[in-house]
Amino acid sequence: MLKLFPRVTLGLCCLGLISAAHAEIDVNDLVKESEKVAYYSGDDGRSDARMMIVDSQGRKQMRQFTILRKDVTDNGDQQMMVFFSRPSDVKDTVFRVEKHASLDQDDDRWLYLPALDLVKRISAGDKRTSFVGSHFFYEDVSGRAITEDSFVLEQETDTQYILKATPKKPDSVEFDYYRVSIDKTSKLPVLIDFFKGENDNYRRVEAVQIEEIQGFPTVVRSKVSDLTSGAYTLMEFRNISYDIGLDSDVFSERSLRNPPRQWLD
Amino acid sequence: MSLTLFILSMPIFAQDDEWDMGDWEEETTQDYRISGFFEVAAGLRISDDPLISKDMSLGELRAQFQFDYDLSASRLSLNADAYYDGVLDQTKIQVREAAWQGSLANIIPFGEHFDLKIGQQVLTWGTGDYVFLNDLFPKDFQSFFAGRDDEYLKAPSLSAKLSGFFDLVNIDVVITPEFTPDNYINGDYFSFFSPVAGQQVAPGFDVAGERLPDSPEYALRLFKSVQGTEYALYAYDGYHKTPNSLSETFLPSFSKLRVYGASLRTTLGKGLVNAEYAYYDSREDKNGNDPLIPNSQSRWLIGYEQELVKNLTGSLQWYLERTEDYSSLIDNSLAPEYEVARSRVWLTQRLSYRAMQQTLTLNAFNFYSSSDGDGYLKLNADYSPVDEWRLSAGLNFFYGDEPWTFFNQFEDASNMYLRFRYFY
Repeated sequence: MLKLFPRVTLGLCCLGLISAAHAEIDVNDLVKESEKVAYYSGDDGRSDARMMIVDSQGRKQMRQFTILRKDVTDNGDQQMMVFFSRPSDVKDTVFRVEKHASLDQDDDRWLYLPALDLVKRISAGDKRTSFVGSHFFYEDVSGRAITEDSFVLEQETDTQYILKATPKKPDSVEFDYYRVSIDKTSKLPVLIDFFKGENDNYRRVEAVQIEEIQGFPTVVRSKVSDLTSGAYTLMEFRNISYDIGLDSDVFSERSLRNPPRQWLD
Repeated sequence: MSLTLFILSMPIFAQDDEWDMGDWEEETTQDYRISGFFEVAAGLRISDDPLISKDMSLGELRAQFQFDYDLSASRLSLNADAYYDGVLDQTKIQVREAAWQGSLANIIPFGEHFDLKIGQQVLTWGTGDYVFLNDLFPKDFQSFFAGRDDEYLKAPSLSAKLSGFFDLVNIDVVITPEFTPDNYINGDYFSFFSPVAGQQVAPGFDVAGERLPDSPEYALRLFKSVQGTEYALYAYDGYHKTPNSLSETFLPSFSKLRVYGASLRTTLGKGLVNAEYAYYDSREDKNGNDPLIPNSQSRWLIGYEQELVKNLTGSLQWYLERTEDYSSLIDNSLAPEYEVARSRVWLTQRLSYRAMQQTLTLNAFNFYSSSDGDGYLKLNADYSPVDEWRLSAGLNFFYGDEPWTFFNQFEDASNMYLRFRYFY
């Protein structure tokens, strides 16, 4: 367990001396809470999403899709389906993921290609590769397991905790460390800067706009930037709802070929 | 004062501007969607085919029109191609999909367990990569060889597909009332080897009228997924999908076929493994002694796929086709010197690489037959840096030792092609 401060065990008499703002922070509890808020709000959810991918020459691509998600357990396994509607060459393509939180088990992934009526199973891949051509990695969308990194609290401001995360398996990722700012109120990670070497900040993921939806703080606009080339991707969500009662049967081969329309419109 | 305001608001405008992505597509009020593309494609033979005068192996202008109409719990879809085929100098229309698809909930008792798709449609199942054992749905080998997009490898059929979903097992039943053969190599695009003639021919034949089977085709799949492993059982009742039989008057025809099979697909280590088996029961030649009808066969497939390094995926398949009653086949064959080996083996290799933020995709696929000493290499590159267009280029290369073997008979069909597709 990584902690910034050793646990204070001074007894009841001393509690009054410790102001709330300076209370001890258990970093592991914090990142776990942050992971839950960022990826596990409610028991399930749906959202429309669209991305604008802008390359270093300013050329733009759009992706539009609907995401359905169901948690098997909080901070654990998840079921996910992504139904693409735009652009026209990926229209009706469906991506299905059975996310496994355990580091020993890769996610199961399938892709449905409507023109061939083909359900293609996808072998486990490097999770730090582009998600459908965007600057978001597959891992940014499905969530990087917090057990992959060691966290240290570097700084605490009035509104944020700033943590430095170092990968436990440095060979498996392209970064040497990242710095994540977690909003104190919502516990959402609002800024993540990735570094190579000592100080080369080459990649940034940021929450641009946050709204509270059904009591869950929710990132409705986020941006990822390739700080080296100037390319970036914007992602925007809308029609978000949580706890809609998605049955696990929805997350199946049936929905690849015949999407569950009641949850998509 | 106003200047201060203006300066203060500038970054806000800039921010808003960046997020101006235009309208969200598919607003809730809209029940229908129209999409499609225009494509121009050209392909050239690498070497001459003395039997076919044209050097052009692909030359077309194509427009695809897709129209989807969403009903409350189902969908009507139309997907049709109109194209001018410069190789044959013909204008053609292919309806790839004209179907209703939906759940049978509220229509029949227990309807929530059933989906139906009825109409013209493309159908696929099985675990192979470019290798089909239990998938007896129509394929278009002319398109595959000529370098059309992969989607054209599967041809449509007018079928009804009923799917049932239960805790015990899921089931698909497909009925195709009118037999729909593959778009086989018939000599109008590419010549082929005729064992009867003992030479390469390009007759451009069509099997029509009385020689077309008049019974429906039935296909069945039972499937279930248990802890990440996908199991399936298959059955098919119909006909050989290519006219590889001869009538008594030595005309190409389709003979009766039943297929039974099974498959599984699961993760293994860092990759995926698939295995599939099919028994081809050639019902008009039970003992394998009719030289005009193909013998029964057992077909086996094992495949493995894995990401090798970031963005590069490799896969291998081993495929075995074992002919039953082989000695009867040879004893009765009209051309025993051209018969395939008792065990025909294919090894396939695929490398797939995505580069430049996935705007460039490179694919190399090779079939190699160790028993026939021949093979078929397919190379393809797709480049699409924007949503509006995609440029593709590729090579289809057939090679081998003997002129009559499965792949090498198409040696003169080897070609290079270029395609440009504009999406609307």
